[in-house]
Amino acid sequence: MKALARFAKMVTFWELAKGLGVTTKYLVKPKVTELYPDKRPVLPYRTKGRLHVDVETCISCRMCEKACPEGCIKVFPPPKEVFKTDKRPAEFLLNQEHCLHCGLCVDPCPTGSIHHSQEFELVVFDYRELLFDKERLPYDLDQPRYRWNGLENARAEK
Amino acid sequence: MNFDWMTAHVGMPLLKILILLVPVFTVVAYMVWFERRVLGFFQSRLGPNRVGPLGLIQPIADGLKLLLKEDVVPANARPFLFKIAPIFSFFPAFVGFAVITWALPWVTASGKTHGFVVADVDLGLLVILALSSMGIFGILLGGWSSGSKYPLFGSLRSASQMLAYEVPLTFSVLSVFLLAGSFRMSDIVAAQQKLGWYFLFPGIVAFGVYLVAAVAETNRTPFDLPEGESEIIGFHTEYSGMRFAFYFVAEYANVVLTSVLAAALFLGGYDIPFVDDAALYAAHPALTSILGVTAYAVKGAVFAFFFVWIRATWPRYRYDQLLRIGWFVLFPLALFNLLLAALFRLWLLR
Repeated sequence: MKALARFAKMVTFWELAKGLGVTTKYLVKPKVTELYPDKRPVLPYRTKGRLHVDVETCISCRMCEKACPEGCIKVFPPPKEVFKTDKRPAEFLLNQEHCLHCGLCVDPCPTGSIHHSQEFELVVFDYRELLFDKERLPYDLDQPRYRWNGLENARAEK
Repeated sequence: MNFDWMTAHVGMPLLKILILLVPVFTVVAYMVWFERRVLGFFQSRLGPNRVGPLGLIQPIADGLKLLLKEDVVPANARPFLFKIAPIFSFFPAFVGFAVITWALPWVTASGKTHGFVVADVDLGLLVILALSSMGIFGILLGGWSSGSKYPLFGSLRSASQMLAYEVPLTFSVLSVFLLAGSFRMSDIVAAQQKLGWYFLFPGIVAFGVYLVAAVAETNRTPFDLPEGESEIIGFHTEYSGMRFAFYFVAEYANVVLTSVLAAALFLGGYDIPFVDDAALYAAHPALTSILGVTAYAVKGAVFAFFFVWIRATWPRYRYDQLLRIGWFVLFPLALFNLLLAALFRLWLLR
């Protein structure tokens, strides 16, 4: 009986047909190719993209500067007289070129002013485009891809 | 030599050749696109989709790229043969289309018939077989004239493979000839229409043998030892640019030709399934022709898809296995089937 079954399998090319069945399954399965420039990927919730800083809520505590292992953040607090009333930094320098996207600056920030955005396209023609000062720091909550989903929650916690 | 003679023997054939060549070249070019695309789908990819909508301009981009590449002739090559060898592969692959009938002949009001075929010769099938044997010369010459040992070995492998599979292919076609009683392509289709079913049923073994042998003849996976994409060094190792493109296009033209031929031999060609063609033709001749060509194209496309399908599925045979299958399995099977077809013809098709 076993031999008969084997013979039947041989005559009907059972193994070959099985292989064809497997590939057919893959033919109709969804494809894994990312259509990146045409279709922007949905990034994970905790994506560590370009650093965004809200200099309006920053209190110049320099915790991020101390936490940064690359030293790519420089915070200049305002003069003492001004600092008593207005704690916003006089200058905030961010060297995105050297940033490791490690997130160590985000954790100690008491006001949640610095955070990673969803923006991941950081390739530029001139490296100077990645050096930011207070005027050029990107911060635009209206633009959905700049928005950090956890920002509101983080602020509420602190 | 009057005007009528010129029209009938020079003008009309030339016109038909032109009308045929444009779609044939297009189909062959898009066969490449189709294969890359469908192969991608089989592998959970999308295939080429960047050039034009759905990647439809990809064949043109490929052709331009190959055309603009440097044409290298190796120092050890025999220049004349080296240059002429791709033509030997290219030419037979396309001439085969001349004898294939694409639809029912068109009868004008004055009683003249115009067949949808360039040359409705009574030995049409034999012409295709002879031309496919000529294609071997292109491979042999290409390998030998390259002046390099690897292409030579590749071409020798290819030649023995093609010889081994030419025989079963011919025998499977012969059994169709026995069933139809003619080598003329239109007669074969007419015989299937008269029989009521396609030769797929009485010739199921011949069909299987034909498929396997056709895959081997066109040098495609699982029998692609002569060229072997990137793993084995094949006969066109020394070729570059447009000369390589000739071999490449010839392969795909062969795929299309064997698909179309299989559709005519085993699936009734331009016969519209489930419809009485003769009655429909009497009522709507133009509609019958269009539907017939469409049916033929669909049947051919099924085979073309099958070619891609098995390429995506089955691994390559080892060389000794390949020859053993050719001589020890396919050849006896084809011979046996020839006997069956003869008996079928003798007792059932009288």
